[in-house]
Order: sequence, then structure tokens, then C-alpha cells
Amino acid sequence: MRRSWTHWARAVAVGAVSLAMVAACSGRSTTGGSDAADGQVTLKINFWGDFGLQDLKTKYESANPNVKIQLNSGEYNAQHEDLQKKLIAGNGAPDIAAIDEGFMVQFRGQADKFVNLLDKGAASYESKYLPWKWKQSLSADGKTQIGLGTDVGGLAMCYRTDLFKAAGLPTARDQVSALWPTWDKFVEVGQQYTAKTNKKFVDAGTNLFNPILAQQQVGFYNEQDQLQLEPGPKVAFDYTVKAVQSGLSANLVSFQADWDKGFTSGAFAVLACPAWMLGHIKQTAPGTEGKWDIATVPGGGGNWGGSFLTVPKQGKNVDEAYKFVEWLVQPEQQIEIFKKVGNLPSQPALYSDPAIADFKNPFFNDAPVGQIFPKMAQGLTPQYFGKKHGPTRVAVENVIRRVENKTLKPDAAWGEVVKEAEKAARS
Amino acid sequence: MSTTRAAPTPPGHRPAPERGNTPADERRMTWRNRLYRFDMRYMPYLMIAPFFVLFFVFGLFPLLFNAVVSLRNYRLDDPTLPYWAGLDNFSRLVGDEDFWNALYNTFGIFLLSTVPQLLLALVVASLLNRKLRAQTWWRVGVLLPYITPIVASTMVFSVFFSREFGMANWALGLFGVGGPDDPIDWRADKLHSWIAIATMVNWKWIGYNALLYLAAMQSIPRDVYEAAAIDGAGQWKQLWRITVPMIQPVVLFTVILSTIGGLQLFTEPMLFDQNAQIATGGPNGEWQTIAQLIYKVGWKDLNLGYAAAMSWALFLIILVVAGINYVLTNRLSGGKR
Amino acid sequence: MSARRAGVVGRAPQDTPAGIWTYLFLALTMLFAAFPLYWMLVIATSNDEALAKLPPAVVPGDQFMTNVREVFSLQDVYFAASLVNSLIVSSVVTASVLFFCSLAGFAFAKLRFRGSNVLMLFVVLTLTVPNQLGIVALYIVMGKLGWNGTLLAVIAPGLVTAFGVFYMRQFIVNTVPDELVESARVDGATTMRVYASIVLPAIRPALAVLGLLTFVATWNEFQWPLITLSGTDFPTSMVAVSDLASGNYVIYRRVLAGAFIATVPLLVMLFIGGRQIVRGIMEGAVKS
Repeated sequence: MRRSWTHWARAVAVGAVSLAMVAACSGRSTTGGSDAADGQVTLKINFWGDFGLQDLKTKYESANPNVKIQLNSGEYNAQHEDLQKKLIAGNGAPDIAAIDEGFMVQFRGQADKFVNLLDKGAASYESKYLPWKWKQSLSADGKTQIGLGTDVGGLAMCYRTDLFKAAGLPTARDQVSALWPTWDKFVEVGQQYTAKTNKKFVDAGTNLFNPILAQQQVGFYNEQDQLQLEPGPKVAFDYTVKAVQSGLSANLVSFQADWDKGFTSGAFAVLACPAWMLGHIKQTAPGTEGKWDIATVPGGGGNWGGSFLTVPKQGKNVDEAYKFVEWLVQPEQQIEIFKKVGNLPSQPALYSDPAIADFKNPFFNDAPVGQIFPKMAQGLTPQYFGKKHGPTRVAVENVIRRVENKTLKPDAAWGEVVKEAEKAARS
Repeated sequence: MSTTRAAPTPPGHRPAPERGNTPADERRMTWRNRLYRFDMRYMPYLMIAPFFVLFFVFGLFPLLFNAVVSLRNYRLDDPTLPYWAGLDNFSRLVGDEDFWNALYNTFGIFLLSTVPQLLLALVVASLLNRKLRAQTWWRVGVLLPYITPIVASTMVFSVFFSREFGMANWALGLFGVGGPDDPIDWRADKLHSWIAIATMVNWKWIGYNALLYLAAMQSIPRDVYEAAAIDGAGQWKQLWRITVPMIQPVVLFTVILSTIGGLQLFTEPMLFDQNAQIATGGPNGEWQTIAQLIYKVGWKDLNLGYAAAMSWALFLIILVVAGINYVLTNRLSGGKR
Repeated sequence: MSARRAGVVGRAPQDTPAGIWTYLFLALTMLFAAFPLYWMLVIATSNDEALAKLPPAVVPGDQFMTNVREVFSLQDVYFAASLVNSLIVSSVVTASVLFFCSLAGFAFAKLRFRGSNVLMLFVVLTLTVPNQLGIVALYIVMGKLGWNGTLLAVIAPGLVTAFGVFYMRQFIVNTVPDELVESARVDGATTMRVYASIVLPAIRPALAVLGLLTFVATWNEFQWPLITLSGTDFPTSMVAVSDLASGNYVIYRRVLAGAFIATVPLLVMLFIGGRQIVRGIMEGAVKS
């Protein structure tokens, strides 16, 4: 009998210890990363893809021994949704949150939930930024600046010289740029390529739609935040459908495994390349070094994507967080990121810095990326992105995928776009 | 239910010692008496209390509270809406294409998974029911999928059903279906995506159900089969004519279990998506199930009130379908007796 | 009709020696059951190219440690922590289910108290209630308690199960003789004493079965942990694996290496306790 009692006692003890462990763990989560006792500060920064922060983190940590940086890369949509949830919940948000321009309107509408960087002395940076970039993250009354810009996308076309050559197309970047002054011409070139090689020309319909939409005066929403599908989205959509119908698209879903493999296997010969895309290509298809080059985008300039770093108010170390953000946007770091992953800074003074202006990217056949992208970023009138821009984009991309999958007839497609976009606007 | 219960005479009622009782003894007596009375009368309730309290707080209460939430405007991103929504959430539900589409998908996948799953489980069970060498080894073997996390296996199947490099397309190509020039896109239309997801569900549950059937089969008295020998029934006929009707209660049990499970399908459709984070279950919701839609509405669109209404609708649907299945299966497997 | 044939059909299946076809079909079933796990291992041990290879790679590679190291070094996935978290959650839930359910099962099986029949009926009825349906409200409740995003949110709803009570009651009814309980009572043992010294030792096999089943089920849970823990520093291993597969670089050898590691504890359990799990499932079937 005694034996059973000890058994029983042991079971209780195990249970109690485990519960204590749980309590300890959950307790730790509520105190966040900070530990006032020894002055150690952990800064958590949420972003997506590759912001080129890996080496900078080490550098900053060794210069500031009391700070630990925790990099937290996630999926593009998920990071923004997660931030929104945490802002509502009032806790759990990272110390620093990256926000894409496509979601900026939604978040600057909740400016009270972010640290006003003007209070921290960010006003001095206004003159350094592209004016439109500065305004994108400014609250409607102009009194609160919630984020400092990191990069702008710009827009160009990356193409595979080896595949172009095999198809009998020119390979020099000027000649290639001359092939497609307009999207109509671009589709024609694609048809030639496909006829000759029996291979697909572009990666995905959605990756035609987005850059073309980015070139329009008005995107999904007008400045009154009303859904406005014509003419902007309609123009982009029509070109996309035309390209898909001509069999140009490899119908891959961007940022997914098959798409990544397509870079290596030559499943497509060209794709729209904002500056931030360069890093992704380099990382996913290291074996294709030297086979890529960069030409101008049909239809003139444009900008696709670009981000900001914000400091949510609920963080426990907002001052340390701002210090790190401020450090990151300094020219030295911005140039390092540019060289590392291709993200183009949003401070025009840097464009004439030789480190950028003379930079040729060896992975892309020594293309003068320091010339190509800044040209576009400077003369730009940016689009307004509505509060529901993010979900609307997902909804319309889904319709495009259905056309590519041939589960939706092209002539019925526009009706679907209208329906799905309206649904997303209401969601 | 057992009817015999221990009810011994309380120790305190043993004949009191003849020696004179001191007040201290008496006090001790009543204390023990009280303890005994407490033990007999209240201890059982104390023993079942943790279960009922915890179950009520984290199981039953949320279910009931869900009803309240479904009648409210509960938007995480817009607390300014009026508190009560009345039946708005439910009337929206009736006209919501996404809901009906998800319901359709859920049933499609449910049929494609439940029927083959239970039939194959029967066959496997009848094979396991033979006199086998290394009997335990086989039984444990069929449980491999049961203990494998669905998250892990879905990742594998997700690659397996990839359009460009998937093994499924490669294998079908060997038989002249699809092939590298015209590969099947498992994520492009309803039928193919349903088949892919149903395959995952079948894989997971065949072994488990087979063991349930096997247990029932082994409790069938041997003489039943001996009697049937007169008819000259073969093994196949034996299975359908004798075994299945004899294990009918367990068949009913598995039908209900897979109804409840199948209508709540979440992990497989969720992680089958190339970008699981958007939770749309395909570009046009080709394979979005109700559970997935509830997740999207609640935690992507942040509309918890509407998600709660959907949960209630799903609850009612499960009740109705489980009922129908019960009656149908009862008829089908019992009718031949 | 030959005597041989008559002999075969007259026998119960249990007494019919399995033929070559039976073995063949069962072997195919095994292959089907084991294949995804095996292929998980193949990809988890290979480099990037193996995935795109057609005909598919069938032999494990030598990159396992590389892949594992990558998985553990991804800061944003918290993989190592997630394994500990899953271990904590599954252990606490299992211990609690075993304790509370055996306690309640004992009370329902052997003790007399008013309302026991009605309360037991309630337990049986709730067996079939899918608790996933209350998930929205559960999230709100956890929010009010301030538990969302902590392991408590995942542990609390699992602490007791109706199945556990039901299973324990059945087992105790069948294996603990009334006389034993009675004689202990006569000796002056309290109810808890009877539970500890008579019931617990007698139901050890059932505890093993229920424990294994509970542990496996808790470890594998996905939907609720995803809702309450995603985006925090405290994922369970299932949430962490799904995190590996989201993001802008989905590298399947990593995803499947993570998936494989998260499956290993369960494979070990099946290896050690397979017999018990099989018996548990089969007993559950006959008695219900």
C-alpha cells in the first residue's frame, strides 16, 4: 500500500512541476523580451522575405552589447494581418514592424497605435526622403509619422539571356528594352518566343498584373477610398488575360516552391523585377548566376512595393527600437542592404553616391542596377492604396489564377473580378 | 452498467467498546464519523467535480457562449458597431456564396473520403482477421498513419500532388495519364483537389477504422461461421453476408465518427494551399471547407460574430447528417440480416 | 464440392491461415501506410535537387544534419522551443487527463451517489460534441483570461476529456472487483485510499492506453494552437512546422526535416507502446 502512495505522490509531483513550468513559461511571455535587471534589451523585428538584415544585426549587436535583435521573417500577408491582430489585442506586437506600402493606409489610419517618430526627432529626415515616400506613412492630419521608409521597388524586367539567345531574340539590355516599349509589344515578343521554343515566356499572370497596375494613375481605390476598377485595374487585367490567352504564362504561384524551381529550370524567360526581386532570384537560383540581365519595363516607369519600419506603441523598448530603426536608415546601412539584396533606398541623395550609382550587379550580368532603378523612383507620382488594398489584391490575383487554370473563361473573367473585388472591399 | 456497489458498514458503527468512554474518545468518534459521512456522501462529487468544472468552463460554456457571440457584431477591427446584431449574421449566411461553396466542398470531400475509407478498412480488417504470422506487427503497422501528425503528412502530400514535380503526376504519367506535357493541376479544380485531400484523409484513417472493425470481428462467435458453411459461402460472401451484419454497431460508430471528423476537416485543406496563409482554399475556394472558412472569417477578416454564426450552422448540419447517416447505415447493413 | 473447400468455408476467419494473397495485400497496405513517412525522410535527408527529381528520389541522402541545423537555426520559427512546448503541453494534458478521468471513472464505476446515472449519461452524450464548434467563443474566453498566446490557452481545454471518463469507467467496472473495494472499506480505508491502493494499480494498463492516445492526440493538435499561438514566441511543434512552410522561401527539405523531427517522438511511442495503442483502440471499439 505504501508503494502505491509513493506512486501517487510522484504523479502529483510531476503534475505540479509541469504546471509550474507552464506558469513560468507563460509568465515569461508577458514580460516581453526586456529584462530591466541587467539592462539587456531584446528587439523583435517582423518583416517578410529578405530585408538584408542578417549581417547588420550582428554588426549592431556588437556595437550595442546590451541589445539583442530578433529577426522574424514571415509570409507577406500574414505579417500584416498578424500586426493588425496584435494592435487590436493591445499586446504581442513586435518592437519593430515592417509595413508594405500596400498596407500603409490601413495602418496609418491607426496612427495612435504607433510611436510618433516625429516625437523622436525623425523630422530631420523629411528632407532626405523622396517626398512621396515620406508622405505615404504620414497620418492624414500630417502630425504623426508612423514609419521611416526603407526601400522603394522601382520596376524593371529581369530576363534570361541564355533563353533569349536560344529563341533568336537579342540579348543586350538596350536592345531588349527596345523590343518592348509598350505592353502590346511585350505580348508580341512573348508570342514569338513561345512559337519558336514552345516554352512559356513569363512566370505568372499575377506578376504581369501587379506591375501594370502599378503604372496606372489610380489603383484599386481612389483617394476617397472607393473601389474604382476602371480604368486602372481593367487595363492591367486585359493585358494579363491577353498574355495568358496567348499561352505566355507558366502559371506558377509566386513565392511558392514550383515558382522558385522555375528560376532554375528555365520555366520562364522573363519576369517583372522590382529592386527587391533581385535578392530573391539570387537566393533561390544561385546556379543561374550570369544568365540574367535587366531591361526596362514596358510602358515607362512605375513602382511595385516598398516598405517602412514602424514602432508599435505597445512595445516595452520603444526608444531602443527607434534607435535601431534610425541606425538602419542611415546611408551606410542602406547602401549595404542595396548591395546585398538589391533593395533600393528611398533617399535620393544616395542615388548619386558612387557606391550605388556605379554599382553593377554581377549576378545579373553586371547590369547597372544603381542606374536603372533610381531613375524610376525619382520621377514618380505614387498611387493611393486603399485600406482594403491588400485583400482586394489577393482576391483579384485569385481570379487571374483561375483564368490561368482554365477554370474560368476569359470573357467571363472581368465580371468575376468585379464581384470578388467588391466582396473584398466589404470584408 | 454494473449494479453491485460497495456499501460496507461504516467503521464507526462497529460495536462500541464496553469500557467507559472518555469525552476525548467520543470526540474522536464523532470526528471520524463525520469524516466517514463526508467521505461517503460528498467524496464522489468531489471526484467528478474536476471533470465537470473543467469541461463546463472550456467545453460547454464556449459552445453556449458561441450562440451569444453569433447574435452580436463582434468585429475585432471595428468595436464601434452596435452591440447586438440580431439575426444579421445568420441572414448574411443564407446569402453568402462562400458559405454554400464551402459546404459543397466539405460534403464532396467527405463523400470521397468516408466511403472508400470505411470500405477499405473493412477489407483490411477482414485480412487482419485471418490467422497471421507476426500478427501484432501488422496491427501496429496499419497504425502508422494514425500517429503521424496530420500537419507532417499533409506537407508530404502537398509535395506529392505538386503540378510540376509531383510524384502523383509522375506515377500517373507512367500509365499514360497526364504526363509531363499536360500535367494534372491538383489545385486548379474541385474534383482534383478533392481527390488529393480525400487521399490524405483516407490514408490517415483506414488503419484506425480497420482496427475498430477487427475488434468487432473477433467477438463474433465462431459457430456463426460454421453454420454458414452449409450455404457454401466463399470468403467474400462470408464477409458481406455474415461479418458485416454482425459488426453493424461498430460500423455505425465509425460512420458517425467520420461524419463528425469529416465535416470539421481543417488541417488538410489548409496546408494543401500553396500559400496556406491566405486560407482561401484555392483561387476560387475550390477546396475551402467550412472549418477553414470559419478560420478565415474569424481570424483573417476578424469578424468573430459571423464566424460564430457559421459554427452554429455547422453544428446543426453535423447533427442532421449524423442522424441521416445513422438511419441509412442502420438500414443498409442491417437489412441483409 | 471438394472437402477441402468445404473445410475452408466452414471455418471462422480467425482460424483460416492467411494465404499468399492476404499477405500480399497487407504488404501493399503497409507500403501505402509507410510511404509518406519514408518519403518525408528521403526529402529531409536530401538537398534541394532531390525534390524536383523525376523519377523520384527513393534513397535517403546524407544532408539530414545540414537540414536539421538549418531548421533549428531559423530564429523566427522557434523550432527547438516548440518541441519543448509540445512536450510540456502534451505531458501536462496527459497527466491531468489520467488523473481526473480515472478519478471520475472510479466514482462512476464503483461509488453510489445521487444523480450518478444522469451525470454519466451526460458524459456519454458529450462524447460526440465536436468542441471545435465553440472555438470562436473559446478564443474570446481566453482573451478575457489573458491566456491567448500562452501555453495555458492550449493546455486548459485539454485537461479533461469525456472519452477519458467513459473509458476509465468501463475499464474499472470490468477489472476492479466489488469485493476488493468492499473489504478495503471494511478495513476503514477512505475513498481516496481505495482509489490509490486498489484502483490505480488495477487500471495501470488502461492508464497506459489512455495516456498514449491522449499524448498522441495532443501533440498532433493543430487548429486551436494555430489560432491562439501563431505569431507568438510560443508555438507548438505543429504550428512551428506549418510556419516552416509559410514565408517567402519555402524550402521543402527544411519543412520535411522539421516535420520528421516532430514525428519522431510519436514513432518512438508507437514502437514502444504499439501493442497498448492497438489494444486500447480495439477495446474501445468493443465496449462502446
